[in-house]
Parts: sequence; structure tokens; C-alpha cells
Amino acid sequence: MTPEEAALTVCVVVAAYAGIRVLLERNTVKKLPFLNVCSFAVAGSIVLILPHPLTIIAAAAYFIGTTLESNAIASTYAGGIREE
Amino acid sequence: MPADPLHILIAAAVSWVNFIAIDLFFRLPERGGVSGASEIGRQIEAGGGALPGGYMMGNIVSSPDASAGTLLAACGVFIAGVPGGLLTALLVYLGNRVCHDPGYAGTTGCITATFIVYGFSLIGISPASFIAGMVIAILTIQGISSVHASRLLATLWGWRRA
Repeated sequence: MTPEEAALTVCVVVAAYAGIRVLLERNTVKKLPFLNVCSFAVAGSIVLILPHPLTIIAAAAYFIGTTLESNAIASTYAGGIREE
Repeated sequence: MPADPLHILIAAAVSWVNFIAIDLFFRLPERGGVSGASEIGRQIEAGGGALPGGYMMGNIVSSPDASAGTLLAACGVFIAGVPGGLLTALLVYLGNRVCHDPGYAGTTGCITATFIVYGFSLIGISPASFIAGMVIAILTIQGISSVHASRLLATLWGWRRA
């Protein structure tokens, strides 16, 4: 097993674990940290599966996109942007 | 070169120290950067966790911080060496602005991680190990127990303020 294959194995196992934790957690806001772990693992997997210069941009765009979505979901639960 | 589980564990420990140190330096546990991060902190506190740690976990969720910077820097160095890592620093900077995050924790973490990952690649630890290592590092904070992780972060935050 090469280092790339070992790293991909770790990423895929963590992504599956985090996905299960997202499903099991009942509180929507507390799902988001598990979703964050899942996004890390998926972004890492994208890069390890497709080592190409454009993949850096794809993985960063994916990761920042999921972060923005989590931000939006949490802010909605907090009651919008009144606090800012 | 065969895979060595020890390399992934070393990379996880180095990544953990890098992102925690930079997030604490940029005072992420002080308050939620956006209302959503504050809400995550309050929910974690309501579940038995510590509020400063909850704020930091909320901030990690709500905007690319040093942990995201470390992961993306490892990805960039894996594909294109130091220039790839610095490209991801630019992308993290743009991501922070998109997420209404006024801070520089993500960009700083990305730049330091670029040189750390490159340095370790010179002594035989592949940047791929750092991708897996950072995934394990974030798992320990966000993915196992929000109560215990938030208390640990609150303790570290206490040391940072002392």
C-alpha cells in the first residue's frame, strides 16, 4: 500500500463515520461539526483520487462551499443576522 | 515507498498542534465570529460542554480557519509543492471573505502548514500523510465528543489568556 492509498483509506473511513454521526445526531445545529469532519475527509479524498493542478481549486471550492452552507444553516437557526 | 502508519500519526499530531495554536493565537474561542458560530457554541454549552470551546468549534464550522488551511495546504503541496500550498492560501483568503470572516487564521494556518508539510516531505513524510493526518486531527476535535472537545479547547484557551 502506497502512502496515497493509506491516506485515501483513512479519508474514506472517516467520511463514512462522520456521515453516520450526522445521521444519528438529532439536534440540527450539533450535526454541523460532524458535517464539517465529513467535508474535510471528502475534500482530502478528491485530491488523493484526482492528483491534478485543477483539483486544488475544485477541492478548495467544494470545501469553502460546504463551510458557507453550514454557516448559512447555523445562522438561520440563530435567527438571521441580527447579532452581526 | 510503502505506507507507514507512524507517518500518518506524526502528521496528525503536527497538524493538530499547527491548527490549534494558530486558532488560539487568533482568539477563535473568544466569541462566535458570525451568529451561526455563536449558536453552535450555545448549543454545545447547553449539551454540557464549555462555551469558549463551543465558540471555537462553531467558528471552525462557519468559516475556513487554520484547520481548513492546514488541510488545503497539504492538498496543495501534495499536488504542486510550495506554489500549490500558497495557491490554496489565496483560496482560503477568498473563502474567509465569502463567509464574512474578518480574521486571518485560515490564511496564516495555510501559509505555515505549506512550509511545515514541505519540510516534512524532505525527511520522507509524504504530503498525502498530512492530508490523512489533518482529517484525523479534525476528527478528534469535531467528530468524537463535542462536550469533551469543547472542555479541552476551553482549558487551552485559559492557558492562552493567562
